[in-house]
Amino acid sequence: MSRETATRSPAGRGLMRDLRRLSIYTVKRLLALFVTVLVGVYLTIVIANMGGQVDELRMVQIRSEAAESVRANPDFQGMSSEERNQLIQRRVALEVERLRLDEPFILRSVDYLQQAISLNLGRAEQMHSDRGSRQVYDIIVERLPATLLLFGTANLLVFFVSVFSALSLSRRYGSLLDRCVIALAPSSAAPGWFYGIFLILLFAFVMPVLPASGMVAAPPPEGIWAYAASVLRHMLLPLTAMFVSQLFVSIYSWRTFFLIHSSEDYVEMARAKGLPSNLIERRYILRPTLAPIITSFLLMLVGLWSGAIILEQVFNWPGLGSLLFQAIGHRDTPVIIGSVVIFAYLLAMTVFLLDILYALLDPRIRIEGGER
Amino acid sequence: MSDRTLLEVEDLHLHYQTRRGVVRAVDGVSFDVRRNEALVVLGESGCGKSSLAKALMRVLPRNVHQVSGRVTLDGTELLAMSDESFRRDVQWVRMALVMQASMNALNPVVRVGEQVVEPLRVLRQWPRARAMARAVEVFELVGVSTDFLQRYPLELSGGMRQRVVLAMALVAEPELVILDEPTSALDVLTQAGIMNLLKRLKRELGTSFILITHDVATSSELADRVALMYAGQIVEVADAVQFFTEPAHPYSKMLMASVPRLRQEHRPEPILGQPPSLLEPPSGCRFADRCPSCFKRCAQDPKFIRLGDRRRVRCWLYAEGGDR
Repeated sequence: MSRETATRSPAGRGLMRDLRRLSIYTVKRLLALFVTVLVGVYLTIVIANMGGQVDELRMVQIRSEAAESVRANPDFQGMSSEERNQLIQRRVALEVERLRLDEPFILRSVDYLQQAISLNLGRAEQMHSDRGSRQVYDIIVERLPATLLLFGTANLLVFFVSVFSALSLSRRYGSLLDRCVIALAPSSAAPGWFYGIFLILLFAFVMPVLPASGMVAAPPPEGIWAYAASVLRHMLLPLTAMFVSQLFVSIYSWRTFFLIHSSEDYVEMARAKGLPSNLIERRYILRPTLAPIITSFLLMLVGLWSGAIILEQVFNWPGLGSLLFQAIGHRDTPVIIGSVVIFAYLLAMTVFLLDILYALLDPRIRIEGGER
Repeated sequence: MSDRTLLEVEDLHLHYQTRRGVVRAVDGVSFDVRRNEALVVLGESGCGKSSLAKALMRVLPRNVHQVSGRVTLDGTELLAMSDESFRRDVQWVRMALVMQASMNALNPVVRVGEQVVEPLRVLRQWPRARAMARAVEVFELVGVSTDFLQRYPLELSGGMRQRVVLAMALVAEPELVILDEPTSALDVLTQAGIMNLLKRLKRELGTSFILITHDVATSSELADRVALMYAGQIVEVADAVQFFTEPAHPYSKMLMASVPRLRQEHRPEPILGQPPSLLEPPSGCRFADRCPSCFKRCAQDPKFIRLGDRRRVRCWLYAEGGDR
């Protein structure tokens, strides 16, 4: 330590030390995460191309398309079959050159990786966005808001309702309310779409008060408020389905979490110290456990980005889940890879944010992280 | 009750409700502590020592079935107080606790200085600067460098943490400090350091201590008086010298005989058998099963019999006309 820092007050010295450790730690984590994203995306590229096997399918497709287009074109009707075959061969060769199918897959995969990492997601093979764009990026961005709206609302509701009711439940350990919640926890064994089917049956058909599917009435109502109201009405059923299916198990697990952490020695010590119980709850239960709570919150946010395949299908919700479902059905490799790339980036960003937050929140991580 | 008496405990009971029945962890305990006196509560594990500390400090687990008796701290009847006023006026300010397993007694995410002054800041609303000045004082008192005020618990060694916890106990200048196995997680040298520190604190501050331990050897260093617990009850209370040189109760005698000695040719003798379950303790003397001098009268509950000025024994051997 230099003389300058050595003469500072202990508090200033502690802060400097913490900052230095934090920055070393940040750089290390950033590098590690980048490698993780590379590996993840590369694996997806290899898998979505079936290790190059898809190339053969693509060759067959190119040949038949070339043959079809030559045959269907009246300009080439007069050609001899020899000439026509040569023309087809030339077109196939052109297409092969354009897609660089003559190069080994392993070389191209590195190029694909580079494009994917620089978010150059390319064009979809079959699918297009509602506005007609074939850019994978446009297709994904068009679907994103729908998914974020529905899953964001549902998960935020579930998270905050369950954490706060769990905290109050952990104070009433063994009470009637506590036992009721535990008894209801298995209700989460059924997924959201399962409840969705019943909700649709009940509220859209038996008692037709809410729309069964879609995101907005057709034709979409004029005016922003009418539009919002329509979206809200459409959201109500899928929202309820997700809320019901996740709430009780979430409360149950948070309650158990808080119970475990409220029997730590330092919590008992805080009680012996005569601190008021709301302070104990804040400083001795919530604060040491903030890291896992935030983890679970952010991972939940990441989960939003991928949507839910079946739930979106059941409610015909135009989100990323149903997009991925359709892309897999069409074997549209660029769309699949594109959504995975975006997801990988978001996940990595979240994990990075988490690492920094951990280090800020928890000296146990900050101090050990910097010393290794 | 003499005017030198600080804490007086009479017929204290603490019972837990468990699935298999009521556990009588503390079952009719009476003793007193004078000002500037160190009372050692000795006993083997499971005899209710820690429960005694919890009952005194009101840090009770959820499954408490019954707390009763009378606890008087310098004229204030504690058990009659509401939780709220006990928390505000007695806890930590007049009576502090150093818990067992205090290795883990510090909040891992709060700087130790903050934790040490927390009672002052929260219970007495001291401004930060004044509280931190006091923290510096108590850190110096317990021999921890004031640099550590800004550290987190994990940066401290076990012995340091124990000293910090002790500093925390002393921060509000309580009249009484209860130490529950304060050294059992530490190595022998650190133990000796802490015991010396306690002796010095007792001399310099005039604080009273209740030291709860199973360790006869370490307890003898600090003790002015000794209370020996067995199966939820106190079986003998005596001045330390008296207790260690001529124990009265058969259990005390056997306990002293089981302790290895350094300078004497002496073979430690184990006490055979197990203490009774506290779930449904047997009627009569609880030590009868293991007692070599057991006789007919031991089937009745023994009274607390006064022997001399400050000694009391729960054993029929010392009863008037209690000859076999």
